[in-house]
Amino acid sequence: MPYSITEKCDGCGACVRVCPADAITGEKKKLYKIDGELCIECGACGRVCPRAALLDAAGVPCVMVKRSEWPKPELIVENCTACGLCVDACPAGCLEMSEFPRSGGFDAYPWLSEPKACIGCGFCSLECPSDALVMKKPEKTIKKETAAARVASEAARS
Amino acid sequence: MKKPYMGKILMVDLTGRTIEEEAPSEQVYEQYLSGVGLGAYILYNRVPAGADPLGPDNMLGFCSGLLTGTGSLFSGRWTLVGKSPLTGGWGDANCGGTFAPAIKRCGFDAVFFRGISSEPVYLYIKNGRATLEDAGDLWGRDAVETEEHLKERHGRKAAVAVIGQAGEKVSLIAGVCNDGGRIAARSGLGAVMGSKKLKAVVLDGVQRVGAHDPAEMKRLSRQCIKWVNFPLPLTSARVFARVGSFLRITPLAFPQDGLLYRSILKKWGTGGMNQASVEMGDAPVKNWDGSNRDFPPAKSKAISPAIVTDRQIVRYHCYSCPLGCGGICVSGGKYQRTHKPEYETVLALSSLCMNEDLDSIFYMNELLNRAGMDSISAGSAVAFAIECYEKGILTREDTDGLELRWGNTEAIVALIRKMIRREGIGDLLADGTRIAAGKIGRGSIEFAVQAGGQELPMHDGRNDPGFNAHYSLEPTPGRHTIGAYLYYEMFQLWKRVKDLPKPGMLYTKGDRYTVDADKISMVAACSKYMNLANAAGMCLFGLFVGATRTPMFEWLNAATGRQTTPEEYMEIGGRIQTLRQAFNVKHGVEPRDNFATARALGKPPQKEGANRGRSVDIEAFASGYWEQFGWDGATGKPTAETLGKLGIE
Repeated sequence: MPYSITEKCDGCGACVRVCPADAITGEKKKLYKIDGELCIECGACGRVCPRAALLDAAGVPCVMVKRSEWPKPELIVENCTACGLCVDACPAGCLEMSEFPRSGGFDAYPWLSEPKACIGCGFCSLECPSDALVMKKPEKTIKKETAAARVASEAARS
Repeated sequence: MKKPYMGKILMVDLTGRTIEEEAPSEQVYEQYLSGVGLGAYILYNRVPAGADPLGPDNMLGFCSGLLTGTGSLFSGRWTLVGKSPLTGGWGDANCGGTFAPAIKRCGFDAVFFRGISSEPVYLYIKNGRATLEDAGDLWGRDAVETEEHLKERHGRKAAVAVIGQAGEKVSLIAGVCNDGGRIAARSGLGAVMGSKKLKAVVLDGVQRVGAHDPAEMKRLSRQCIKWVNFPLPLTSARVFARVGSFLRITPLAFPQDGLLYRSILKKWGTGGMNQASVEMGDAPVKNWDGSNRDFPPAKSKAISPAIVTDRQIVRYHCYSCPLGCGGICVSGGKYQRTHKPEYETVLALSSLCMNEDLDSIFYMNELLNRAGMDSISAGSAVAFAIECYEKGILTREDTDGLELRWGNTEAIVALIRKMIRREGIGDLLADGTRIAAGKIGRGSIEFAVQAGGQELPMHDGRNDPGFNAHYSLEPTPGRHTIGAYLYYEMFQLWKRVKDLPKPGMLYTKGDRYTVDADKISMVAACSKYMNLANAAGMCLFGLFVGATRTPMFEWLNAATGRQTTPEEYMEIGGRIQTLRQAFNVKHGVEPRDNFATARALGKPPQKEGANRGRSVDIEAFASGYWEQFGWDGATGKPTAETLGKLGIE
């Protein structure tokens, strides 16, 4: 089941710009449409939509997340076999195999060559057969979240 | 549940500039899987009998494998199919890199071309939308340069398959390149692409490929990785060359476990066998006339795997490969970086021509990759020319003043350059040895070592008769990537498929040369298995690890959701083999004409060296092998009954 757009859409075009599959079409300020055959369910549209107009594959409305807080892949190099499944799986083209070998080895390793282009879909981590890639939220976000959680728990206690 | 195939193919008519999508029936995928099977199915039905391989009726197909993109490993081979201008019959060639998954990510299982464009064009597919673009500015550029250019234009993520100057000039030993010099070289299909004025295919898509049971796919892949990384100590390159000498001297043959070969591939790449192969008699020397005595360790040390890998910066992995037999090397000179020369390239340009200069091999490797020319055929053509020159058949006038002597590096490099540009004698040799010998005459055909027009690769069938059987009897003659006794031992197929013979723990070398029912079923099993692998998009080196450790059958079941037994899968392999042979018969190829050159079969046998006194009775193989597939034992043509049973019209 592909993603879909509800009547809430105001045609701002944010989703069109982020969609790596060119699956979303429409005119500015009008209701946009997703081509079900092209949609790869990466969820990027849902994370950028300010109107919460996107429904995910299960029909649940998506929540907007600030781009700086999107999870990004992190490599555990000891597990990596350099098979390149992750690089191929990346729809945003932001992962690349290194041009030089990892330290103490002969194989290249995948690295986030364009972190800004990463859409946080997690396909790389999903495809990896050896658990070498983990999706992690940026440090700052985690700190912010723990701080918020602490405040919330303290508030609850008092 | 998701399917492992996209269910769509793209048909591009270059004459009318039309692009259409088609959906093959479920039955086709069931009977032929994808890859070479799908390609054979489409071409058998659509290329009219007697079509000119370089004319508009011939078709060229870029096919991805059934397992490509499903989470399986070693499944990154794409197959190029077409009617071969080199052999006049069925042609296919496969290649790794990143092109195979790109076909599927564009939403197609295969892209086929027919017709001929009036102007140079390239096909660009972006997320399922295909357009033909003008390639006037790219025509004349080499493969690597063109690929770079197209990636700058369409984004670094695009996968590009492209022909170089050899393909443009319709050299019949041209191939199609991708990923900076990986090449689908055999069968001369680069010439077909050149004849169609199709410079490149650029794919940029993000579609996801499914599998019936992704969790099971991943579980199988994890298991496979354990075997691929299974630690096994390996000696130094120098000692390893001596192992080759030992294998020559001993009268016994040892069945080999593929894990050893896996270690060699991991450490050195295919080039790990460079020196050992010469020593044990596996690599042909001096245009198949010499022996290891002509190219002793003192000479072959120039191509020692240790020296070759010294120049390696980083290992190169094709898509979905945990092994990584390739390498990116410092090339020096004009080109900064080059793919590590493969075993075949090194031996074709060294021992076969008696050349001892590794620098020149690196240089010629890069030249040939850029020109998109098959390095096996190119090396064979050079060796052929040298022998003709040495024997007085070619004179200095014929060779444009080149002193074509054994081991004359300068002349060899100059000749390769001439072949790429099709100048003078290079023009004569650029269509392969059989055609060159036809033009030269004067008994030179004896020195053209080929099978059905395809130059033989660098594995001596006098050393392992299984090679000779496959060279001579396959629908695509002259291939080393299908089978041999060695391959059969490494595949360990008897562990998965019922009724296949298990090789003894130790046997005398002489045993290899008697043809019996067991040997014939071993050879036939390799053929079926590799047809299946090519349909699934699997890499030969992955399969070397062993049928129980690289679980192709299980991957196929988990991807399709079927409960097919290995025996039934082997039948599918047999069906594809029969269809390819039927293609040959339809196009007038006589299977008997594909037998390898007498010299390569050991007729007369060599007088010295590793393979002295060895000859292979290919006639004894032929009828038994053909009957294994239900073909006529006398002519090698599939019988009407077999075709009917398999549903081939």
